[in-house]
Amino acid sequence: MSTGLERGGQPPIEVTEDDLEALIGDRALARDDHMNAPGFVIRPDDVQSVLTDLRDEAGFDHLANLTAQEYADRYESIYHLRKYDDPTQEVSVVVPTTTDDPVSQSAEPVFRTADWHEREAFDLVGIDYEGHPDPRRILLPETWQGHPLSRGYDQEKPQLVTLTEHANPVQPDHHDDESDTMFLNIGPHHPATHGVLHIETVLDGETVVDVDPDIGYLHRCEEQMCQQGTYRHQIMPYPDRWDYVSAGLLNEWAYARTAEDLADIEVPEYAQVIRTMGAELCRIASHMLALATFALDVYGDFTAIFQYGMRDREVVQDILEDLTGQRLMFNYFRLGGVAWDLPEPREEFIEKTRDFLDELPAKVDEYNDLLTGNEIFQIRTHDTGILEPEVAKQYGCTGPVARGSGIDYDLRRDDPYGYYDNLEWDVVTEDGCDNYSRVLVRMQEVEESAKIIEQCLDLLEDWPEDERTVQSNVPRTLKPDADTEIYRAVEGAKGELGIYIRSDGTDKPGRFKIRSPCFHNLSALPEMSEGEYVPDLIASLGSLDIVLGEVDR
Amino acid sequence: MPGQIAGATAGTAAFPAVPLQETVLLPERIGELTGLDGFGLGGELLATFLAAFLIGNLMLAMTGVAGPWAKRKITAAFTDRIAVNRLGPAGLFIIIADAVRLLSKELVVPENADRPAYDLAPIVVASSALLGFAVIPMGNGIHLADPEVGLAYVFAVSGIASLGLVMAGYASANKYSLLGGLRAVAQNVAYEIPLVVTGMSVVIFAGTLQMGEIVSAQAEPFVTIAGISIPSWYALVNPFAFVLFLVANFAEVGRNPFDTPEAPTEIVAGYQTEYSSVYFVLIYLGEFLHIFLGGAIIATIFLGGPAGPVLPGIVWFIIKIWAVFFATQWLRSAVPRVRIDQLIEIGWKGLLVLAFANLILTAVIVGLIA
Repeated sequence: MSTGLERGGQPPIEVTEDDLEALIGDRALARDDHMNAPGFVIRPDDVQSVLTDLRDEAGFDHLANLTAQEYADRYESIYHLRKYDDPTQEVSVVVPTTTDDPVSQSAEPVFRTADWHEREAFDLVGIDYEGHPDPRRILLPETWQGHPLSRGYDQEKPQLVTLTEHANPVQPDHHDDESDTMFLNIGPHHPATHGVLHIETVLDGETVVDVDPDIGYLHRCEEQMCQQGTYRHQIMPYPDRWDYVSAGLLNEWAYARTAEDLADIEVPEYAQVIRTMGAELCRIASHMLALATFALDVYGDFTAIFQYGMRDREVVQDILEDLTGQRLMFNYFRLGGVAWDLPEPREEFIEKTRDFLDELPAKVDEYNDLLTGNEIFQIRTHDTGILEPEVAKQYGCTGPVARGSGIDYDLRRDDPYGYYDNLEWDVVTEDGCDNYSRVLVRMQEVEESAKIIEQCLDLLEDWPEDERTVQSNVPRTLKPDADTEIYRAVEGAKGELGIYIRSDGTDKPGRFKIRSPCFHNLSALPEMSEGEYVPDLIASLGSLDIVLGEVDR
Repeated sequence: MPGQIAGATAGTAAFPAVPLQETVLLPERIGELTGLDGFGLGGELLATFLAAFLIGNLMLAMTGVAGPWAKRKITAAFTDRIAVNRLGPAGLFIIIADAVRLLSKELVVPENADRPAYDLAPIVVASSALLGFAVIPMGNGIHLADPEVGLAYVFAVSGIASLGLVMAGYASANKYSLLGGLRAVAQNVAYEIPLVVTGMSVVIFAGTLQMGEIVSAQAEPFVTIAGISIPSWYALVNPFAFVLFLVANFAEVGRNPFDTPEAPTEIVAGYQTEYSSVYFVLIYLGEFLHIFLGGAIIATIFLGGPAGPVLPGIVWFIIKIWAVFFATQWLRSAVPRVRIDQLIEIGWKGLLVLAFANLILTAVIVGLIA
């Protein structure tokens, strides 16, 4: 049905499980059973060779996630690999290490994105990665004692955080008679950091020499909180708080999809349509905010375009409020459906949403006049913040950031869920790889989302009254079988928002790991901004559209 | 007396009902009215002081309206908002509330600040702009002094502001301030030259640097259409120079799209990052005074000074400088900021070349006509 959804170019190579077995050969110690993909257990010193083979021979070029966890008898790092060409092809590489000497080979030389992931695994779980270029903590302060997600961690122990001056990392090699560098802390409190982000920057004049994003200021133990909640009701409110700028329903869907697949829950078709509509409304709201704040970063003041973005987002917020009862923390999805049907009177809600969609093209034209058509805006954003597609893949970039670099990757189409499969819409890509392309992608995605909502409204309007089931029958207590492991992702506003859950036989997850798109996108910031000017660094940061709540979790 | 020419030409000017230029300068008139001119040099000085006090307060009052109130209202109109509307009619009393708020804040001085420079910078920034108004003819006899090098003087004193910005930048012992100070000086050097060179093209037309004479020269009729004679304001005579001057002026006073020295999203607030309370007010005031001074220069050398129909000269003058202020706020709401390297490039490679082209062209045309 979905004619607009076929991907161009060569069909990706299909890799069967037998091929993988042959490829990994006797480096595989055992097989592991993951719901999303075949799992291979390998030795800690084979990580690089296995991942290299999987990337180069089998085409698994996307390290989607790295989950680290501690069992009673071992530590485990799980590398979730997918393909940018076909994300339904997945493979999990499980690397166990002993508890007394948890040392594993670093995957950083194969996938750059493993850098931050392994730092996080070290920080929260306590696995050491041999050969890692930068083995520091990432979310917690450097002076933190212990690893909070490890089994023996004492939560009662007081922690001392000292204040030390940051050193200039390139001082030795840039200090000569001719030039000198300046170390500059951008953030944690700065007008352009979109939350509490600290960027350790080294400047040579106005040129950026070195960039090191320092994250973790907004770390709220989201993963651990989810591990302490029951599947059925207690986890769903948390996803709203990851990416809190109006992407709530998209985040909820990530959890809903993972938990529904884990516990084998059916979702009624009617609920899927409502979900699809709600999620796309959230995407519009989120992209509007991204556009507005990016304009703020480039324009430098609360200008007309910023306020226009806010004004139009307000309409979406009103519609979402009508639908969910909330403006910020929706908590509208339930496992097996949504909380309730469209608000009564239905016609009024549908009418209001249609009005918004009807006015949208004129508004988009207005944005184009003010923003993308502005010559100063163009000279500011063209050819700045360059992110080549190969680099983007290395850093695991997804969402509008990847699509602005010409990577045709959208989970709504490539790993279908919800009702997207049955609707007519297109995936937007731009080949410019610069800040301007990322803006264009978001602008056009707003229009595509509008198309999706339009079709959903048509469906909802004509849906027979006696078939409007918003929730399927879901048991009061969910207890998936022990040691079931799953990784599922949805296309969030910022990119691939994935969740890994391991069940331990109780009604709460044994391990809950969030794969945040902003985390990956932000890690590519140094590649985009080093060698450019300070204003371009700020613009690039804005074009990544990060939300620190999702980066730090 | 320079004003005599204006008086003589007033009858033939476009708007003969209102005399464009009074023959007597403000200090002399005050001296006459109060009888201070009978007290010799001391009386003259006192009269001059009173006149300066009046003009200074007029300008400060205008900044008082512009900063806390007009800026908010104008920006709000551009961005679909309402802005201040709680205190007084149209929120006007917010000016008082803001004054109390700003002045009662704690003055925080950074530990490593270079004290005399840190303290002097706000005063330099604010006073350099005030000095400029001394030679501006504002109509209805409000004109403090009319030296023969008036235009050169006004460029010179407004250039002193760069010194204040650099002082503020380095004395604050803050890296963002330093970056802002460096940007400010690079920008001012790059744009002051086109500004002055474009101003010179007006001097070629008028044949004098004296502000009063420049204004009188613009009272001559330029063309007469259907019985209405249009005065030869230099904005009409040479619109190219007017646009150049306007652009260079926006850069000179550091307004969008050339507000890189402050660039809130990049370098926090530039040179004024570490200033609080009264010092901040002084810098803030200084910036608005500079916008108004820029407006005053534009009004004087391009828009016929205080000339205009029906209304008194001072009203026209204020309307003209507020129009320039309005333009800065319009740009602020609609135009992105250029990057610092692009800004320097536009200045040195674009405006400077155009300014000299304009100067030579003007010289050739004026020479041919003469």
